[in-house]
Amino acid sequence: MKQPLEVTQASYAQGEAVQPAHASRWRWRRPTVGILLGWLGATILLALLLVALGAPLIAPYDPQLPSGLPYAAPSAQHLLGTNDLGQDIFSELVYGARISLTIGMLAALFALVIGLIVALVAGYSGGTLDSVLMRVVDITLAFPFLPLVIVLAAFLGRGLFTTVIVIAAVIWARPARVLRSQVLKVRAFQHVRAAEAMGAATPYILARHVLPRLTPLCIAQFVRAATIAVLLEASLAFLGLNDPTLPSWGTMLFFANTHNAFLTSAWRWWILPPGLALTASVLGFAFLGYAIEEWADPRLKSAPGSAPTVRADSQSATDGARLEPAAADTVLAVRKLRVEYDTPDGVVRAVDGVSFDIQQGRVVGLVGESGCGKSTLTMALLRLLRRPGYLAGGSLLLNGRDMCRLSANEMIALRGRRISLIPQSAMNALNPSLTVHQQVAESAALTRSREQARARAHELLALVGIPDSRHAAYPHELSGGMRQRVVIAMAISNEPRLLIADEPLTGLDVLTQERILHLLLDLRARFGMAILLVSHDLPLVGRVVDDLLVMYAGRIVEAGRAREVLDAPRHPYTRALLEAFPSLLGPRRRLESIPGEPPDLLSPPAGCRFHPRCPRATAECLQIDPPLFDVGPGQQAACLLEQAR
Amino acid sequence: MTAVLELRDVSKSFARRAGAQAALAAVRDVSMQIAAAEIVGLVGESGAGKSTLGRIALGLEQPEAGHVVFDGVHLAGLPSRELRRQRQRMHLIFQDPYDSLHPGMRIAEIVAEPLRIAGLPPAARVAPVSEALLEVDLTPPTRYLRRFPHELSGGQRQRVALARALIGQPRLVVADEPTSMLDVSLRVGILDLIARMRTRHGVAFLFITHDLAVARYVSDRIGVMRAGQLIALGPAEQIIAQPQHAYIRQLIAASQGIPPEAAALEHIKED
Repeated sequence: MKQPLEVTQASYAQGEAVQPAHASRWRWRRPTVGILLGWLGATILLALLLVALGAPLIAPYDPQLPSGLPYAAPSAQHLLGTNDLGQDIFSELVYGARISLTIGMLAALFALVIGLIVALVAGYSGGTLDSVLMRVVDITLAFPFLPLVIVLAAFLGRGLFTTVIVIAAVIWARPARVLRSQVLKVRAFQHVRAAEAMGAATPYILARHVLPRLTPLCIAQFVRAATIAVLLEASLAFLGLNDPTLPSWGTMLFFANTHNAFLTSAWRWWILPPGLALTASVLGFAFLGYAIEEWADPRLKSAPGSAPTVRADSQSATDGARLEPAAADTVLAVRKLRVEYDTPDGVVRAVDGVSFDIQQGRVVGLVGESGCGKSTLTMALLRLLRRPGYLAGGSLLLNGRDMCRLSANEMIALRGRRISLIPQSAMNALNPSLTVHQQVAESAALTRSREQARARAHELLALVGIPDSRHAAYPHELSGGMRQRVVIAMAISNEPRLLIADEPLTGLDVLTQERILHLLLDLRARFGMAILLVSHDLPLVGRVVDDLLVMYAGRIVEAGRAREVLDAPRHPYTRALLEAFPSLLGPRRRLESIPGEPPDLLSPPAGCRFHPRCPRATAECLQIDPPLFDVGPGQQAACLLEQAR
Repeated sequence: MTAVLELRDVSKSFARRAGAQAALAAVRDVSMQIAAAEIVGLVGESGAGKSTLGRIALGLEQPEAGHVVFDGVHLAGLPSRELRRQRQRMHLIFQDPYDSLHPGMRIAEIVAEPLRIAGLPPAARVAPVSEALLEVDLTPPTRYLRRFPHELSGGQRQRVALARALIGQPRLVVADEPTSMLDVSLRVGILDLIARMRTRHGVAFLFITHDLAVARYVSDRIGVMRAGQLIALGPAEQIIAQPQHAYIRQLIAASQGIPPEAAALEHIKED
């Protein structure tokens, strides 16, 4: 059952009272700084655009005609005074927005179109054409903008359109380079490959599959180019290389400068306003650009250093009241652990009251389908949850010490030393610029001097079966199995008491899987550490682990010694998991897949969470949410039908 | 027996080039035939050349030596327009159902894509799309047509990929590890669908997997690849019950949980 919202809010208040620093409950809703800046930028640009469009309405005079005495100071008739020809500076400023923004946006558009075409041709065709085009891009980028613009402008002459072309010709290279690398990336996407395999022609693939995935980046690049174009236009005009009859902000500055406005008090109304207008438009574009980039690349959104969140520690006293004392050789005792995620649609309870023990030197398998909460649980055990996830209750006793009550710094002192994690696909996330020896030495140095760590790294690599000749290799030079060995060496470098391995076998071949599995068992025998082996492959890990935990929809549904669970699975889900695998040597028969899919944890089904997929569900199963029952020596299952047996 | 696909002494090597995209493994002197409505499982470790062979079969890679004959047509030297037309009668299914569907297209558009590429007008695509979705048990189709891939689960997406494969009535589908990223509970469903497509529509499959048990479950014949070579090819039961090659015995032992013996260490040095 979903908890009523009042309860969670009450607990929130409680948590906040205890530890306000950790109460980050609704924080995710608050827009990021980038988004706020984006709105600010958009507002500035919109205001400038309105001014430009409504110039004839806003400006009191025609900026081209004299409307007063020359060099008049600001007055009610001339808000910003007049220039040497008696033209109204305020009107010039207003009309200047038209020219500056038009040139900026047109040049940016041209630059983007050129860049996009170059990127598509270079990135998609590849080969020699790519090399040639990218060298041209390099050369263009290597030239300093301003001198190049000046030379081109002097050569091509003056005029609005010429200015646009000149600026675009100089700034197209950056969008071209950025977009080309994105084209390379998109080209490797399988849906692009699929379209090729379906016999689609290149123009179709570019239009349907590649371009749509470049759009966000194109918008970001356009805004960036516009920023530069506005500045370049101003620079050109200031140097007098523009058409002096076009009243742009740069032109105003040019005339102000040539008429020595700097030497008199006139700079305050003749130079400052166009300067500020330029600054505003550049900032407007830049701010908008940041926001668009953040939106286009969601990775920028999650602050990398965001603190792991623990909340409502005080709850463990109330709802985890029945804390069974853990046995003396228990490394980790998890009690009533709850992890929640805040989503726009409500609270998702990804881990819901999970309790188990891991004894010293035991290998425990944690199995279940994806989305059942395995990985969330794993991260929670190390208190590495990221917003919007947080620990909502329960306790985590590592050798009797509740990790939920430790400070962030105390947790850092434990991680990698007492308790160590092999994250999912870690073998693909090794640092590509360090040799494997350096990386193992780095983690070994947590508890040692540099020198000792280097020696230890050597021993560790030998221990995990990497021959001496490969110690100086970089990760990309090693096969997946070898990289996984390196990751294991790093994880055990400080002799942890508990090693948590999240899907360490996924993505490896059968033979390599078997070798890695046996390596883990050997290391357990050597160091006596406990291992929590997280996997979706029950038959694979079931064979080698001591104990099994089967997880479904955020709960442990079956637990026990591996042999008993495999021989006599008591929960229908465990049974279904075992049934779902084709066997290699047994009779070749049709397999029964588990109907349906794991439930949406936003609104898990009432009663037993497995009942919609259970072939044996009764009317009672729809009503009663079964706890774990003892079903045999050391074996528990959360099934009403098993309790009755 | 009329072969849908015939590979004759096909070889391909790749020069290792800095910055080259996903390096493909080499293939050496591979010959095999796939008949209509036959499922051939291709087993081997990563780097054995399975995927390369699959891409060669579809004409996406040109072999350096040997012939690829698809439905009586030699693929080598075909003008690209003609090659594209041949490809419309084949299909490729990928491992990752998250990556193989365009995130910005609706399910209806995705499934209809082969028809669109073949030049069918929009009106003629509607009925086949619903039929294809029904065929892969995404019922009722109206529930899925307007959705985007991210709104579906991994298993459902792989079904969409199968529907897309089915809709063009291909003669041959190369399925590259179509179940290895799926949860165990969903794998069997996909495997059974593949078997059904073969029975109902006579589609031939080249089914690439590293899992011998999965290959046995779904295939008529199994080929085993190692280091670019096809070291065994025969009826599925025979390959497993009477393994002729030490490497196959090793693969079988590994799947049975027997610790890899000293030979394993040798292999580590190799890779």
